[in-house]
Amino acid sequence: MIYIKILNFALIVTFIFSFNVNALEYKLYGLVQPEFSIFTNGDGKHHQSKNNYSFFTKGNFISYLDERDAKITISAIARYDEKDSERRYIDFQKLKYEQYFENYTFKIGNEIIFWGVNESFNIIDIINQSNLAEDMTGTKKLGQPLLSLAYDNNYGTIDLYLMPYFIERKFPSKNGRPRLALEVDQNSITYESSAKEQKLDFALRYSMVYDDYDIGIAHFHGNNRAPQLNINPSTLKFNPHYTTLSQTSLDIQATKGAWLYKLEALSAKDGNERHLGVAGGFEYTFYGIRDSQSDLGLVIEYSFDDRNSYPFNNDSVAALRWTKNDINSTSLLAGMFIDMRGNSNRFIAEYEQRINNNIKLFIDATFNGSIDSQDFTYAFEEDSVFSIKLARYF
Amino acid sequence: MNKFLLILFFVMFVNTSLLSEDNFEKGLRIAKESYESTRGYVDSESDQMMILVDPKGNEVIREISGKTLENDDPNDGDKSIIFFNKPKDVEGTVMLSHTHVNDDDDQWLYLPALGRVKRISSSNKSGSFMGSEIAFEDFSGNDYRKYEWEFIGEEEYEGEICYKLVSIPKYKNSGYTKRIGFTDKLLRPRMIEYFDRKGELLKTLYFEDYQLYNDKIWNADTFRVVNHQNKNKTIYKWVNRELNVGINKKDFEKSSLLRLAD
Repeated sequence: MIYIKILNFALIVTFIFSFNVNALEYKLYGLVQPEFSIFTNGDGKHHQSKNNYSFFTKGNFISYLDERDAKITISAIARYDEKDSERRYIDFQKLKYEQYFENYTFKIGNEIIFWGVNESFNIIDIINQSNLAEDMTGTKKLGQPLLSLAYDNNYGTIDLYLMPYFIERKFPSKNGRPRLALEVDQNSITYESSAKEQKLDFALRYSMVYDDYDIGIAHFHGNNRAPQLNINPSTLKFNPHYTTLSQTSLDIQATKGAWLYKLEALSAKDGNERHLGVAGGFEYTFYGIRDSQSDLGLVIEYSFDDRNSYPFNNDSVAALRWTKNDINSTSLLAGMFIDMRGNSNRFIAEYEQRINNNIKLFIDATFNGSIDSQDFTYAFEEDSVFSIKLARYF
Repeated sequence: MNKFLLILFFVMFVNTSLLSEDNFEKGLRIAKESYESTRGYVDSESDQMMILVDPKGNEVIREISGKTLENDDPNDGDKSIIFFNKPKDVEGTVMLSHTHVNDDDDQWLYLPALGRVKRISSSNKSGSFMGSEIAFEDFSGNDYRKYEWEFIGEEEYEGEICYKLVSIPKYKNSGYTKRIGFTDKLLRPRMIEYFDRKGELLKTLYFEDYQLYNDKIWNADTFRVVNHQNKNKTIYKWVNRELNVGINKKDFEKSSLLRLAD
């Protein structure tokens, strides 16, 4: 925790100092977003509630210094949730200072780093912790404190990351919906590493563009972002245990006209066991369908993992994305997730359109079909839901 | 005597070649000269604003800022970066394009909500730019290498005698079958009519507010587009445009996207 305090102090001092610069060049923008959800299976498996309201906000402040050779970024998100106390939080997604040199970039602070190319199965993305209280699929992340140095030349970019402090995975509380079968006891966390959350994690990534190919090779060593969840027989709660992970990964995207081909692969040693994961697929877009401005994209992805316990060990997704390309940027994504081993399936739909220059409407739906009782998503089988979100940008 | 013959031969040859220039060659020559008169800008920086007007007269504003880098390679296209500012929900989005003459461009999008750089398909050059009546391919509509040209005569346009040129896109995914335009004697395009894939008149682009930049390059600071089919209008304005500003070439690479983004 001491790292975080020093880091925050240093950033705030730099921040205040930056205000003394005469012509401070900065940007400030963000959004506020009320949300309302209606569940279609009554109170559900865990006797939660039929509906829920929530309030989300995001603010970005960017200040450019030193004739744009340095930058301070603050990007914070916050949520208030009616029912789920774990969904009442503030997170500094970005709280960083960056300095640019001709071929080097130095960065210190909280940051969001994304690795990968897939639309759905982002199996190699490892720097940031997932916020499952926001989204059970793990795509929503928490800011990671780090130091980074990037070097780039004509042959590509090398990024080095040092992560001095570990951020624990966030889970929904007992009243959250959806939630896991049991409550997660965040007071009973254990680590394989004796340094626990102060273990110095590191990562190295080389990325390059060669013609139609975008390629990345990476290695990560540190606390696994995904904990093992062990049932504590006395409390009947899950106790998270974070193993030490060494992961080597490859990601490639080939862009061939209207076709995108994507592949992510990893080999990792998690605790004492080695595992292999491969996920990939393609995306094809039909442009100007039926002589209109509309586009229709098809995405098919598959994920394999040689661990039985891994949720996406033999899973696929097929989705259609319709974009109207009108003034309101209307779009609809509809997709089906299928667990090929257990025959579970889940249907999702996401609609969005702009109401005016500053307001955008989102309507999301998730319908759970039959879910195998062995599948971890069995806990939210009865959590089919409609959500309406209205974002007001400033 | 020899010298005299040589000169005579040369004059005859040049005359013959000029006389024998057919309307296709003349069209190509004018288009090439027009394009070349806009070259040598090195790089540029500008703020851009679009006003989208629907048939009822409702207006929507779009704001972006952009940088472009001229490509020294005569067989390749320029590079550009666009920063999206309005509508507010796309603020922070950045698009990098490496354009190519008769091939798909290379395009990357930085999506701030995901903190992610995505390589995107660019084979949709005929698609609408931000819901406007301007297609991606219209921005490079003055690149003579992208069309087959024909000169079909001289006509008066807004009180000036202009070359009337027909151009047919070489790019197989173009949204147009044909364009008919007027280029004035200063080699500036003044107006282009676009014909859709069915051969019907789709829209007219008017080049307005010509400014002479750096004492040598004419740029139209307003594109006004009238769509004859859906009756929408788009007014696209360049403001604070500067040429030859000395932008770092590295800014136009994928590795700089995260650095340039918020």
